[in-house]
Amino acid sequence: MRLLVLVVLSVALMVVDARFTLLKPVRSQMSLVLMQSYWITDLPQRLWQGVASQFGSRTELVAENEKLKTENLLLQGRMQKLAALTEQNVRLRELLNSSALVNEKVEVAELIGMDPNPFTHRIIINKGERDGVVLGQPVLDARGLMGQVVELMPYTSRVLLLTDTTHSIPVQVNRNGLRAIASGTGNPERLELRHVADTADIKEGDLLVSSGLGQRFPAGYPVATVKEVIHDSGQPFAIVRAVPTAALNRSRYLLLVFSDTRTPEERANDAAQAQENLDAQGGGPIIPATVPKPAAVIAPAAAAVPATAPAATPAKPAATTPVKPAAAHPAAAKPPATAPAAKPPATQPAVVKPAAKPPVSAPATTGGRE
Amino acid sequence: MVGATASRNGWMIWLTFAIGMLLSVSPLPQFMEILRPLWLALLLAFWALALPQKVGMVTAWCLGLAEDVLYGTLLGQNALILTLITFLVLSLQQRLRMFPMWQQSLVILVIFGLAQLVQLWLSALTGNRQPTLALVLPALVSALLWPWISFGLRGLRRRYKIN
Repeated sequence: MRLLVLVVLSVALMVVDARFTLLKPVRSQMSLVLMQSYWITDLPQRLWQGVASQFGSRTELVAENEKLKTENLLLQGRMQKLAALTEQNVRLRELLNSSALVNEKVEVAELIGMDPNPFTHRIIINKGERDGVVLGQPVLDARGLMGQVVELMPYTSRVLLLTDTTHSIPVQVNRNGLRAIASGTGNPERLELRHVADTADIKEGDLLVSSGLGQRFPAGYPVATVKEVIHDSGQPFAIVRAVPTAALNRSRYLLLVFSDTRTPEERANDAAQAQENLDAQGGGPIIPATVPKPAAVIAPAAAAVPATAPAATPAKPAATTPVKPAAAHPAAAKPPATAPAAKPPATQPAVVKPAAKPPVSAPATTGGRE
Repeated sequence: MVGATASRNGWMIWLTFAIGMLLSVSPLPQFMEILRPLWLALLLAFWALALPQKVGMVTAWCLGLAEDVLYGTLLGQNALILTLITFLVLSLQQRLRMFPMWQQSLVILVIFGLAQLVQLWLSALTGNRQPTLALVLPALVSALLWPWISFGLRGLRRRYKIN
């Protein structure tokens, strides 16, 4: 009798939970207490890291410091070019009346747990509704897109990874803009492109970036690199397998992307405002809070695929910095918002000028003159 | 004496459940993820056998709800399954207590296997398909763990005179 009641109750709960949002508050209240268990199970590792960093030897720390300094220098150097490219990109897009100016804010979150079910690829992060996370929000790591938020709890949230079997993301081949849909396979190192024509121009090593077509993910973040393309004459479509660029099962620190809600006009106005401020100060450190992203994706493309987009070419001659683009390449996919908002003043005048000039030569020549 | 100890050290039971819950979300290496035993079900089975007047289907249902929140499944899915497991254990209770350990393990294997099949069926309904045979592995691991869990908890129970 009791069994019957409980079974009926469970079934009713499941139906209500699947169909309506009635139970969401209950769930979030319960999660307030229960999600602590993920935190507790994560504690030993956290403690171990704390101890390790306490007793890390001095030489190790010095070496790490050196490494970080070098990396910082590299990134700073790239930022200089990035800023110029960004401005140029903004201007060109304005000329084209294009609205694809994306200015995203990001926030760092930490992984606190994996989903215990081995057949789903979900993780739990330490930022939740109270931190302003919203449903469907994209999540990145330092190398590319990881997934999206699928469940919100007050102080934690659940992220569905790209490789989950129920997940698909619209992508674009960075080399030629070919669109496709990348679906998860349940294997953390594998995505599959669905319905790619046998004759499509896609080959091994191509970088796939998010196309932004699903209105869910922002455009231009690296998603995966194509690992193999199989043309089977018995199959209606080519089989394309790709490896996610993000370290889906290794990253501990993630970035939550808050997309810009401003309209294109507002963005253009803001950009103009920032430009005026800049002009007024004669090269002050004012810049739109974060650097727009398209330029960030162009940078790795420039190093990986020579001679593609014209805007990518000026990224190569590094006149003002001791940076070698080829060496810098792996880190290039790093989202720009982690970099400092203020850019070095040296490039400011260069940014202002190239507006009227042909885009390709502008930053390169100014860079050469300095 | 007997009257005074009508319900002694009941909190120990809840402590074991709390530990079970931690174990059921603790991080494991990728290849072991698929073998994760059904900790809560094991604990429930033991306490339902040992103290049926104390741990029953309602307890199982509440724990199942908690597990649902932890796993992010539909509310009620694991509740249903744990309730079913407890029901089966309770209805076989008289016989199970008489069985030698290996036979108990066998029965546990069958019960948990059934529960996992229901789990598979439910997740297929909600759209998360899972490979079939691998899903019975946790039941197998749980059955292999049963003797140890059983001995350990029995020792705990004797020591703290939980009843």
